[in-house]
Amino acid sequence: MDSKEFPLDALPAACASMVRGEGARLAAALALDERRRDGGFSLRYVFSVPAKRSYVELRGRIPAGAAAFPSSAALVPAAHAFEREIREFFGLDPQGHPDPRNLLLHEDWPEAVHPLRKEFSWNAKTRREAGREFPFLKVTGEGVFEIPVGPVHAGVIEPGHFRFSVAGEPVVNLEVRLGYVHRGLEKLFEGRLALAAAALAERISGDNSIAHALAYCRAVEDLAGRTPPPRAQALRAILLELERLYNHAGDVAGIAADTGFVFGGAQMLILRERLLRENERLSGRRLLRGWLEPGGLARDAAPGSLETLAAALESCEADYREIEKLILGADSLMDRVVGAGVLDRRVAVDLGGVGPAARASGVDGDLRRDHPVGLEAELGFQPALRREGDVRARMLVRMEEIAESFRVLRALQARMPDGPWTVPINGVGPGEGVGWAESSRGEVLHWLRAGPDGTIERLKIKDPSFSNWPLVPWAVQGDIVPDFPLINKSFGLSYAGHDR
Amino acid sequence: MEAPLNAGFAFQGIVIFLAAPLAAGVLRKLKAVLQNRLGAPVVQPYRDLRKLLGKEEVVSGTASGLFRVAPYVVFAATAGACSLVPVVLARMATAGGAWGDLVVLVGLLALGRFALALGALEAGSAFGGMGSSREMMVSSLAEPALLTALFVAALEARTSEAGRIAAHVARTGGAAFGPGSAFALAALFLVALAECGRLPVDNPSTHLELTMIHEAMILEYSGRSLALIEWASQARLLLFMTLLVDLFLPWGIALDASAAALALGAAVYALKIAGLCAVLAFAETSTAKLRLFRVPDFLGAAFVLALIGLFSQGFIQWGL
Repeated sequence: MDSKEFPLDALPAACASMVRGEGARLAAALALDERRRDGGFSLRYVFSVPAKRSYVELRGRIPAGAAAFPSSAALVPAAHAFEREIREFFGLDPQGHPDPRNLLLHEDWPEAVHPLRKEFSWNAKTRREAGREFPFLKVTGEGVFEIPVGPVHAGVIEPGHFRFSVAGEPVVNLEVRLGYVHRGLEKLFEGRLALAAAALAERISGDNSIAHALAYCRAVEDLAGRTPPPRAQALRAILLELERLYNHAGDVAGIAADTGFVFGGAQMLILRERLLRENERLSGRRLLRGWLEPGGLARDAAPGSLETLAAALESCEADYREIEKLILGADSLMDRVVGAGVLDRRVAVDLGGVGPAARASGVDGDLRRDHPVGLEAELGFQPALRREGDVRARMLVRMEEIAESFRVLRALQARMPDGPWTVPINGVGPGEGVGWAESSRGEVLHWLRAGPDGTIERLKIKDPSFSNWPLVPWAVQGDIVPDFPLINKSFGLSYAGHDR
Repeated sequence: MEAPLNAGFAFQGIVIFLAAPLAAGVLRKLKAVLQNRLGAPVVQPYRDLRKLLGKEEVVSGTASGLFRVAPYVVFAATAGACSLVPVVLARMATAGGAWGDLVVLVGLLALGRFALALGALEAGSAFGGMGSSREMMVSSLAEPALLTALFVAALEARTSEAGRIAAHVARTGGAAFGPGSAFALAALFLVALAECGRLPVDNPSTHLELTMIHEAMILEYSGRSLALIEWASQARLLLFMTLLVDLFLPWGIALDASAAALALGAAVYALKIAGLCAVLAFAETSTAKLRLFRVPDFLGAAFVLALIGLFSQGFIQWGL
């Protein structure tokens, strides 16, 4: 990864010229506490540059004694949430930020405690404070009401608070408040051995276990300068597609069920369950955990298991074709999804949207094609792309990707390389590395710095949900309240991944 | 002769209440099977009611007495409405005196809904108000269609008493089921879906609080109050099914109170309701819920169907 240093004051303009000039997308922004080294903080803005098939990093230094930096959010809206996070976790003030409220740490968290500073110990007990309230945006006017929803919901789903301002049924404004499942994971990684932390990466967002573990392993390999052998690359690609398959099946089932079309939803859920059982047969784990490690894989696939998988996938694909016809042929379902929750392409681009949600609004991006790692470049991924940006488009993109995943899995199995499944990595660090993977929700990015003893000094985790949650209020605006659950479901975001 | 016959007729309302959880259980079971699920046993609704009746109630601090009274009003109004319809026994001319007619029935149902909507506003949660406003929108559109459809049956039998309509149609045979009745039956079916909070108007099994109509109104209720409301809405569903089969297709219903006629009436009734449950389960499984603002179109269609039924009934009876 290219890395360029800029004076702190020139950083916002440099970020803006990356986006405007080179068509780059801000993938993550992070801060580093380097006060023990030279007394200051370091800032990194990591951009994806699809035209160059690479990531580029812009650096800035906050000198000793200072605790502020010029905000880039006004020029690069995608930096908005990242800078809010830097503010609360590092105590660095993004000057000129349009909305410097806390993002993940709630009102009971003491304002002076910044968990990602080095003096904060991961197991420190923090006294909670009472009496503060989160200032939601107040919409006033005749007939405008507020509907508070969550964080506890009627169904068993992840926690999030939604504050609607409505005029009758149409939504005037929606504010999403998350952070209820913040577990301090980035802090938990610090101090662990980089070679032994893949299992923790699998637990960042449960249904993206493979994507996170893969991005993490790639970051370690990038740092150590090792490339896993072809067989490991092929098996990793298989796991990544298997994870995408069951997630997309579950998301399409969820969209069907949220409209009340339970029959189509139930059929899709049956398919999802079959896929999960195939995962278990292949890897011993329904969510495919425990197989990836830096350097390759923890073990080879059992003899014959890939052939069994190929046969099972063939029958799953045949089933999928039937269900696809059933769902696309259900007029009552299609009537609900057409035109609901339209996300404008401009919004998706400006806020750095990723994955199926962005592709459904015409943002042509898929890491498997734009930033291929090793073998991925030879598979000829074709991202599904639609322009309408509504619930239907997001559903169809997923369905096209299901078909594409089946195709890719066939191609991978036809050319499965033999040989070793791991390369030894004897030591890592000191240094920095970056790894990524296209998960079922979009870009997962891990930015890693290890110390001389091979322990993690900083791991920045970018989950695709962090990029896509800010899109949801824009898609909901102007739609009616009872359509919100459907629109939200069509984004299919992870709360745990966002909150970490 | 009069008193026992009238008492026996009213007794049928109790039958509806006793059988309603079973009908709800059968409907859920059928839906589960259609989705390739095993589903809960058909007697599960009885168990749920017993459980709820034994539970403590939690009442919001902002609620007034109205919140506690509303479930009883809903229950009593639904019970009153149920006592007006024939189930296994039609109401013969020999049973003298006037009995509450279909307009009273619609009024009682409206009273129950009104009480529930008020009760829902009491708890001070945003969902109650949302549910109430949506319920009022739906019912204000459903009621005209409901009344018009019922009037078609009344016109045919020249009486607005449900029991006498059933007796008239059962005695007249197939000739009493003209094109007007067919339209009205279709209209009543659509209205029943809306009035009972079924798909495609409302989704009774959803957990998405923002999409709810009926369920949003009862989110704050618990314990005995919830049991009463649940039981009343199950009875309401069976009441509408009973209206569908006994106003338009009452053949087999008992015309006198002899044991043989009553037994036949009960068997035929059970069969018809089971058939209707199957139709409903299939319809609910194969369709998605409508967008909220498409519901007026749906109920508009029901109203037009009922109106066509009324006109054709009028033409047939009095000519042009």
